[in-house]
Amino acid sequence: MLQIKPILSTLMRNKSGPILLLIQIILSVAIVANASFIISERLTLMDRASGTAEEQVFDFRLYSFDKNIDLESQIQRDMRAIRDLPGVIDASTTSMVPLSGGGWSSGYTVGSSEETAKDTENTAVYYGDEHMLNTLGVELIEGRNFYEEEVLTGSPDLATHGIVSKAFAKATWGDDTAIGKTMYAGDFGNMPIKVVGVVDKLQGAWVNSDSLDNSVILNIKLVNVFTKVLVRAEVGTLAQLKQEITTTLLKDNRNRVVENFTLISEHRKRVYRNHELMATVLSMMVILLLLITSLGLAGMVMFNIERRTKQIGTRRALGAKKRDIISFFLVENYIICVVGGVIGGLVAVQLGQQLMTVYSLPKLELIYPIATIAGLLVLTTIAVILPARKAANISPAIATRSV
Amino acid sequence: MFFYYLDLAWRSIKKTPFLSLLMVLAISIGIGITITTLNVYQLMSENPAGERTDKLVAVQLWSQDKDAWKEFNAQLTYQDAYNLRQSDVPVRQTAMFVTGLAVQTEDPDFVPLLEAVRVTDSDFFDMFSVPFIYGKAWDKSVDTEAVYQVVINEALNQQLFAGEDSIGKTLYLDSKPYQIVGVTKTWSPSPLYYDITTGAFKDSAQIFVPFSLAPIEEFQSWGNNQSWKREPINTYNQRLSSEMHWIQYWAEVQDDAQRDEYAQWLKRYVEQQQLLGRFDSPEAAAKLSNVEQWLEINEVVPEDNKILVGLSGLFLLVCLVNMLGLLLAKFLKRAPEVGVRRAIGASRAQIFAQHMVEVGLIGFGGGVLGLLWAWGSLSMLSAHFDLEAALTQLDLTMWVLAPTIAIAAALIAGVYPAWRICSTNPSVHLKSQ
Repeated sequence: MLQIKPILSTLMRNKSGPILLLIQIILSVAIVANASFIISERLTLMDRASGTAEEQVFDFRLYSFDKNIDLESQIQRDMRAIRDLPGVIDASTTSMVPLSGGGWSSGYTVGSSEETAKDTENTAVYYGDEHMLNTLGVELIEGRNFYEEEVLTGSPDLATHGIVSKAFAKATWGDDTAIGKTMYAGDFGNMPIKVVGVVDKLQGAWVNSDSLDNSVILNIKLVNVFTKVLVRAEVGTLAQLKQEITTTLLKDNRNRVVENFTLISEHRKRVYRNHELMATVLSMMVILLLLITSLGLAGMVMFNIERRTKQIGTRRALGAKKRDIISFFLVENYIICVVGGVIGGLVAVQLGQQLMTVYSLPKLELIYPIATIAGLLVLTTIAVILPARKAANISPAIATRSV
Repeated sequence: MFFYYLDLAWRSIKKTPFLSLLMVLAISIGIGITITTLNVYQLMSENPAGERTDKLVAVQLWSQDKDAWKEFNAQLTYQDAYNLRQSDVPVRQTAMFVTGLAVQTEDPDFVPLLEAVRVTDSDFFDMFSVPFIYGKAWDKSVDTEAVYQVVINEALNQQLFAGEDSIGKTLYLDSKPYQIVGVTKTWSPSPLYYDITTGAFKDSAQIFVPFSLAPIEEFQSWGNNQSWKREPINTYNQRLSSEMHWIQYWAEVQDDAQRDEYAQWLKRYVEQQQLLGRFDSPEAAAKLSNVEQWLEINEVVPEDNKILVGLSGLFLLVCLVNMLGLLLAKFLKRAPEVGVRRAIGASRAQIFAQHMVEVGLIGFGGGVLGLLWAWGSLSMLSAHFDLEAALTQLDLTMWVLAPTIAIAAALIAGVYPAWRICSTNPSVHLKSQ
C-alpha cells in the first residue's frame, strides 16, 4: 500500500540528491533543537517575577557635594517632601534597586552556638526604613514590618532587625519559621540581627546570580553623599514627577545632582537585554533555517517531478490514482526526513553535550529534538504536497507522446 | 572566454529563475547570519591596544589568605598599588580607579552634572596613547605632590566651554576648583581594556584627575570593591589600609627582558610583604598579563557570542548543502544541452569552467544580498536593543569578507555538481533527445 519497496529502489538509483537532503535535515535538526532549547531557557529566565510593583516603582540618584550640611536631616527633609508630592504612593531610601545590576550582597552567620554556626547563602541586602515594603510593593506573608522607632540612621553596621525573602528563609532555616531567628553580620555572636518578617518574593540586583531570590531588608536609613531613593507612584506619572522631584529637591539645596530616574521595568529590560538579544538572534536563525530547508525540499521535489514526468504519466496510464502519486512523493520524503531526523536527533544531543561542557549551558532536554523532528515532518508534508499535486495532474497522455 | 561564460551563466540563471533565486536566497541568508554574528564577535574580541599590546602589562597580586578566593583578583589593594608605584623598573606605570564627582563651572546658573571621573597617574595618557587637542597631562611631580589639576575630554569641553582652548580655566569638582591642564580628543577604546571590572563595553570617562588626590579628597569608588577579610571600613583611611581590592594597575615595559626584570621585582615585593605578615597563601604571587592575555583571562567575549558564531557556521553549512542539492538538480536537468555542446567539441574542462563561473555568479549575488541582510539585521538589533554603536557597525573587513566567503562557499558547493555534469558521457543524453 505504501509502496516502500519501489520508493527505496528509486532512492537507491539516484543517491546524491537524497543524501544531500539527508545531510541538510541532520544539520537542521541539530541546530534547531539546540537553538530552541536555548531560546526557551532564556525566555524562562526573563519570565521570573521580581516580586515588586515594577511599573510603579522607580529609583533615582541623589548626590550631595556640599560638605557643610547636616546630611542626616537633609535626607529626612527630602524624603518627607517627596512623600508629600501628589501621585507619590510611598518612598524610601535604599542601598540598591531590584534588577538594576548593581548593589550590595553578603552572607550571614547563623546557628545556635559557636561550634554549630555556619554561613548562609549569599543574599542581596537592602537597607531601608518602615516605608520600604510598601514602596517596593512586596507582599508580607509572615511576621510584621519594622516599627518606625526601630529604624536607625547611619552606618550599615548598626542593623538590628531584618525582613527576609521566603527563598532566603527556606534556604537558611528550612521549614522552620524564620520569625524570631537571629543571624549575625559578623562572626557568631557579633552584630546580631533579629528576623521580624518574611516577604513572599523579592529579587536582588543580579539576574544571573544563582541566589537571585535571596534578599534581606535591614532597618537602616543610610546616610551617604550618594543616596538612592525608591519612589512608588501611580503608573505614568514618572515624567511629571521627575520634574517635580528635581525642582523640589534643588529648591531646598542647590549643591547636588538629581538624576537617573529609572523604572524597575526599565531596569528589567536592560539587565535582560543580552538574554533577549540571544533569544532574538536564535529565533531568527531557527525561522530562516526552517524556511531554507523547506524551500530546498520543495525545490528538490519539483526537480524530481520534472525528471520523472514520463514515469508519472506511465503510472497514471497504468491506473495509478492521483492520490497514489502524491503519497509516493510524500512517503519518499518522509523516509528521508525520519532517517535524517533520528540521526539529527543524536547529533543534536552530542552538540548539546559539547555546549554543556565547553560553555555553561544546561543539559539539552530530549523533548527539543523530538519536537523538532515532529515539526520537520509537518514542514515536509507542506513542502511536498504543493509540488506533488502538480505532479498528480500530469496527464497520462504525456507519457505516451514521446516514447 | 570568461565573459562568454558569464553571459552563458546569466542566460542559464534566467532560464530557471525560481531555482536560481532559491539558491541566491539560501546562500545570502547563510552569509547574512554568519556576517552578523561574526561582526559582533570580531568587534568584541578586537585588541584595541594594537602594536602596544606586548608593552602594556596588567599587574595582579595574590594577596588574599589561603581561605579566600582561589584566583588572582583583577584589582589590587590600595596599599599594594601605593607600594608598586615606587618601583623604577617599568618605563611607565599607573594606578587607577573610577569615581563620580559633581561638575560645576564658574557660571552660577550652571546646573551641576554628575560625571564619572578616572583617578589616575600622569603616565596614563602616554601609556594608553590618549590623543590631546589642547595642553597635555599634568606634570609627573603631581603624582607625588598632589595639585588640583584636571584633564577633560573633547565632548565635555564642547559642553562647558563651547569647544575653545580651555587650558588654564577652572572647573569645579565637588565645589573644589581644579585647573584644566589638558583636553583630550574623543577617545574610547572598545573593549575598554584598561578597566574591565564593570563591563568592557562602555565609554571612557570624560574627566581625569591625579591619583595623588585620592587620600586627600577621599574619592569614593564607583567600581567593584571586593573584600575577603572581615575588617571595619568606616573611614577612608581604613579603606586605604584595608585588604580590599579596588585599584587597577598597569605598567609599560620596553621589551621582554624588562618584563622579566619587573616580574623579578614583583616576586621580591611579595616575599618582602610575606615577612610583614601579609600574602599568607602558599599560592601568593604576582602575575603580569599583556593586553591580549588580559582580554583572554577576563573573558571579554561573552560565551553567548561564541555559541552564536558556532551555530551560524553550522547554519551556513546547511545553506551550502541546500545549494549543492539545488545545483545538482539544475545542472542535471541541463544534461541534454551539455551533451550537445560536448558532441560538437567542447572539452570537459570548458564545461567545468562554464559551470563554475555560473556558480561563482550565484555566490557573488548571494554575498551582496547577504551583506544587505547583515546590515539590516545589525541596524534592527541595535535599534531594538539600544546597543553600543561600536558593536553594531558593519566592520570594514566584512565588506570584503562577505562576498569572498560567499563566492568561495558557492564554488566549493559547485565543484561536485559541475564535475558530475562534465563527466557524464554525452551519448547518454544525446540518445534521449
